[in-house]
Order: sequence, then C-alpha cells, then structure tokens
Amino acid sequence: MKNVVVHPERCVGCMQCMIACATAHSHTKATPAALLEVPRPSPRVHVGAGIYNEGFPNRCRHCDPAPCLLACLPGAIYRDPETDTVLVNYDRCINCASCAMACPYGVIRYTEDYKAPPGKVVSVKCDNCVERQHEGKVPACVETCKTGALTFEDPAIAAKRKTGEVARSVSVGEEAREVPGSPTFSLLNALKRAQKIVNIR
Amino acid sequence: MIASVLAGHSAVADLPVRKDSFYERLGIDVILGEGAAAVQLDSSEVLTEGGRTIPFDRLLIATGSDARTVPAAEAAAAELDGIFYMRTLKHVESMVRILPEAGEGTGSALVLGGGLVGFKAAYGLLHRGFRVVMLIKSGYPLFMQVDAEAGRLIQEELEKKGLEVRTGVEAVGFEGEGRVEAARLSDGSMLSCSLVVVGKGVVPAMGFLPTEIETHAGVVVDEYLETTVPGIYAAGDVAESVDVARDKPWVNAIWPVAVEQGRHAGWNMAGRPVAYPGSLSRNVIRIFDLDVLTAGVVNPDEGEGYEAQVHYDPRRRLYRKLVTKEGRLAGVVLLNGIEQGGVLMNMVADRRPFTAPVERFFDGSFNFGLVSGRVG
Repeated sequence: MKNVVVHPERCVGCMQCMIACATAHSHTKATPAALLEVPRPSPRVHVGAGIYNEGFPNRCRHCDPAPCLLACLPGAIYRDPETDTVLVNYDRCINCASCAMACPYGVIRYTEDYKAPPGKVVSVKCDNCVERQHEGKVPACVETCKTGALTFEDPAIAAKRKTGEVARSVSVGEEAREVPGSPTFSLLNALKRAQKIVNIR
Repeated sequence: MIASVLAGHSAVADLPVRKDSFYERLGIDVILGEGAAAVQLDSSEVLTEGGRTIPFDRLLIATGSDARTVPAAEAAAAELDGIFYMRTLKHVESMVRILPEAGEGTGSALVLGGGLVGFKAAYGLLHRGFRVVMLIKSGYPLFMQVDAEAGRLIQEELEKKGLEVRTGVEAVGFEGEGRVEAARLSDGSMLSCSLVVVGKGVVPAMGFLPTEIETHAGVVVDEYLETTVPGIYAAGDVAESVDVARDKPWVNAIWPVAVEQGRHAGWNMAGRPVAYPGSLSRNVIRIFDLDVLTAGVVNPDEGEGYEAQVHYDPRRRLYRKLVTKEGRLAGVVLLNGIEQGGVLMNMVADRRPFTAPVERFFDGSFNFGLVSGRVG
C-alpha cells in the first residue's frame, strides 16, 4: 500500500508542504480563499529545525500499533483499514490531549476545524489526504514538494531502493560517487552544519 | 470523562467507549455488575459475589482501583447526604441528581485533595455555579505531578477563575442535619458547604486475593506481568510493575499504562512471551486556560544524581522543567505548549540520550527533527 515517505536529507525547509496541507484541509481548497476562512485551516505537516537547523518535515507515521489510538480515552481515534490511516472522529474527541502525550513524533495539534462541530477544539492530525486519494490524487504535501523530500510510494519499495543506494555507495571504487540525485542537498546540509558550528563558537 | 458529565458538558449516553456488541463480537462471555469475591488456587476457580464458580486455566487480575477513603468523610457519609467520591459514573450521577438542592448556581462546595480528581471536580462544580473551596494538605496543587513552581502557577490560574485554594489544612469532621452543612477543619475553623467531593487518590482493588499472590503497593508482577502464582497475571491500576524513570517497583494507575499492560498480559497469557519494559508515570490535564503535561521524575530527591533545568516565559505563559540524569531525560513538566510533550515523554520512556543541548528543547521551534539523531 502506498504511503507518504519522508526523505529528510532532501528537505530545504521551504514549508510549502505546510501551506499545501492547510489548503487541502480547508473548506474552499484554494489558498487565497482559505486564508479568509474561519476557523483558519491549519497544516498537519510541520517543518521544524533539526540539530543543524536543517529542515525536517514532520508528519504522522500512522503507526501500527498507534500509541495515540491506544491512549485515546473516548475512543475517538481509529484506523481506516482501506488506506491504513489513523483518523480522528471529531464528534467523539474531547480535546483531552492524551494523544499529544502519547505521540512519539509530536505531530498532533489542537484547533478548530471546518469539519468539526463549530466552536469545538479537537485533535487535528494528518489524514493521509484520504479525500484526495479517493479522487485519485496524491496527498497535497507530496504534490507540492519540489525537492523530492516527500514521496508517495510503497514504503517497502522506498526502503529497498535506499538499501540499494547505500550498498552501492560502499562498493570498492564507488565511494566517491554521490548518492543518485544532485549533490546540492549534501552541499546545503554541509553548509548548515558548518554555519551552526561557527555560531556555537 | 465523568468530569464532563459533572460540568454538564457531556451526556451519560456519550460516555461508553465501546459499542454494546463489543464483547459479543470478540466472543467474550461477560458478567456485568458482579465482582470477584475470591480466588481459589487449589481448584483454580474464581468465586463471584453472586455465588458463581468460574474455573480458569489462566487468570488475569484487572480489578483496577477504588477511591482512597478518608475516615472522617466515611463516618459522616453514613449519616449525611452530599458527601461523594468521584470515581464511577454512579458517583457522578448521584452528585448531579442533588445539585439543585445543594444550591446549584449559588451554593458552596468543598473539594478535598489537590490532585487530578480534585481538579476535575472543582472544574465541574465551578461550571455549575458553585463557590468552590479546595483543601490541599500538601504544599501546592498537583503535588504528586508537578514541582512547586508549576504548582504555584497552577494555583494562580485557578484562583483567577474563582477557586479558593487552602493549603496545609484538611477536613476532620462534617456537620449537618440529614445533609452536610459544614466542615470542621484541622486548624479548628468551620467552613459551610452543601456538597463535598473527596479526591484523595486511588488504591488497588486487591482485597479479595489469597495471600499466595504477593501484594505490595499493588499486585507484584514480573516482567511478563505474571504474579507470584504461575498462570495468574495482573495488569492495570491493580498491578505493581517497574517505573522506568525511577527504576523502582511502582504502581502507575493511569489509562495508557493499563492499555500497555493489558496487551502485554494478553500476549503472555496466550503463550507468546513478550517482556513489558515497565511503566512511566505521566499525566496531561487542561485546567481552564492552562494545559499541564508531566512525565517521569519531576521532584527528584537530592543526591540521586538528577539535574533540573527550568525555563519560564511569563509573557507567553510557557513553563518548562526538564529533569536529566546521566545525559538522559528523566522527567518533564510543561505548562502550556504541550503539543511536543509526547516526544519528551517517549525520550524518558525509551531512555534515549540527548542529541542536542538541553536549551534547544525550550525553543518554540523544537520538533522531532531535533531528536531524530540525524546529522545532515
């Protein structure tokens, strides 16, 4: 089954995924109009800073077993077997924050949502864009990512490709070759690391 | 959940987590409304309060916990109406029933205990228009969960919302005719009240067990959640496992731990040995406009090698306390901005070493990228 795979080494921290995500989870589905909506649409993917201030696109892993689902007191969090997605029933959610305390990745937020009862603050997280998937589209964050940091594919295939890349990189005579793609990311990340070290001093 | 019934935010019908068909769908015969009275080891049978005898090959003790009783309140409750524990739906239903005669909207209520239950009770009663006085015997609210500084901030928040908090005193007696009218306090003073809620914690429900099953603060279990009698397991509020932050035997009577232990006990009882790594004390509570999240060791004893770093931003009303030991996170207290609490809680639970300076964890921009261990 296809899912969103994150390649953090390719993230440049542009945060366009956050805007695309908020738009995809708006009533109007258009960024300019979404900005005027009440409640204001919120992103489910969160780009944060890593150790060297490099970008890190952080989103729900839809874990199995999911700690948030197990911790949910009113039984509002459930798994959609069709898309293997962990979802929240806004009617049942009581905004107790037990899921935030359980989530090892810190990807749950509490806010109003256009799909929740008006005025009710609920637990809001990535839904794998199940609605878009039903329309045959890929998740909004993947569609908008310009650097390939977010891809929509079978995680097993992505892992196998990565294993292959790492294996090739250690072959005799191949050490110097870049991992397929462009060296830009390595350069960017090296630069950020150097800047950080200089700043610390 | 029952607290929101008391506050009038939820209906009783909204409470069940599972559908009525839940047990049937799983092929479980369930006997409701009838407790276990005894466990007979020689014949491997459980006797119920209703006189049934149920044989077992494997037994799971998951009887949970009951409200800790307070002798003064126990004695008074036998004669006076209006004194309640807040542990079960029945407790809250009878509380809600007498709210009108207790003076909903104008009456005075007394809450004994500054723990989580005390807070939920106070919150609900304030919403119902009561004047609420909370008596806390220890120095500050949430004494078991947070440090003194956070406790002070929580108390300020509560007082702003109209709650009266008195520390260092407790109720020693109650007076009234037919129903409670006043409480006598340990400092000799009297306090009028038409409703009393006792929230002094919980105790494991293990009184019916035979002595062969060793009990301490709870039913003692090994890492496979098996008790000292082979084939008999315990999980949840009744079980005493190991606390991973304290590295000591401990009863963590909280929902997420009960879920973890129940799953592990189930696996082990079904013949698939899965070791349980231990539990972690943790809690999250929203008190009016203040969110509180705590996990692990928050009030370390001197000389045990713990260090604490505190960061308080009064303008944004953010408070963070991180307790570390040997380069690892041992405990955390967060007031407001609790969305990343799970990352920290799991760092404590997994004993993961710090990958970045502790100060970075006070940043607003802190996210999982900082602890993922990835370096460019």
